Amino acid sequence: MSELTLYQLVALILLMAGLFGISQRRSLVGMLISVELMLNGAGLSIVAASQLTPANAMMGQLGTLFVMGLAAAEATLVLAIIVVVARRFGTTKTSVVSTLKG
Amino acid sequence: MENLAKFVFGFYALIILSGSILAVGAKSLVRAMVGLIATLLGVAGMYMLLNAQFLALMQILIYVGAVCVLIFFAIMLTRADAGGEEAESAPLRQNLLALTAVLSVGGILGWLVMTRPQATTGVPTEVPIEQMGLGLLGPYGLAFELISVVLLVSMAGAVLLAWERRNGK
Repeated sequence: MSELTLYQLVALILLMAGLFGISQRRSLVGMLISVELMLNGAGLSIVAASQLTPANAMMGQLGTLFVMGLAAAEATLVLAIIVVVARRFGTTKTSVVSTLKG
Repeated sequence: MENLAKFVFGFYALIILSGSILAVGAKSLVRAMVGLIATLLGVAGMYMLLNAQFLALMQILIYVGAVCVLIFFAIMLTRADAGGEEAESAPLRQNLLALTAVLSVGGILGWLVMTRPQATTGVPTEVPIEQMGLGLLGPYGLAFELISVVLLVSMAGAVLLAWERRNGK
């Protein structure tokens, strides 16, 4: 098994853990943690694919840097949304937060 | 790979595996956070092993330093006390459905990765940090500016969303 395959399998483990968490967790914070796991798996996969193949290595590293920036922006927004939901519903359980106003 | 590199790779993979299991399986959200931090540090080690030292440091700085603190704030601000929201375990049916989804996606992707090996150089290429800086200012300048705008907008949006109005609504 080549090194690239090993790194891709580790990234796949991260994706699977995140996917399991996001479909099984029942609070918004737990789902946020799972999303961070999946984004990390994507970053690891991109870096491994660019560093270990003849592809443009700089592009891969910068792409992962942009993924990190997007993850930070996403975490900021989700934090604000969680605070608003907690203020309005008193909880962040996804089973309780189920009403829309339209 | 050299023997030492194999050993270190296995060590980081073990950290990532156990950390991610803790992150998705822990009953208390604070413990899940500890698992997430362990996973992020393991991924930083993987970046180190891939000869991307700058990315490893950025991973520790951005993820462990900033994103994890943000998630801790989310836990504290919503009073998700230890053993609170995730205390009762999910129903068995939901667990089974989640496991089915994960195994089908992971099975297909794992099969694809294992049966279609890509040609690798084996040795990670090294990108000098000057070259990355020049790349950020040159060919990838637009993406760099756009990510700054996205960060600025998301922070302004977060402030706007979480703004506590003084007199009622």
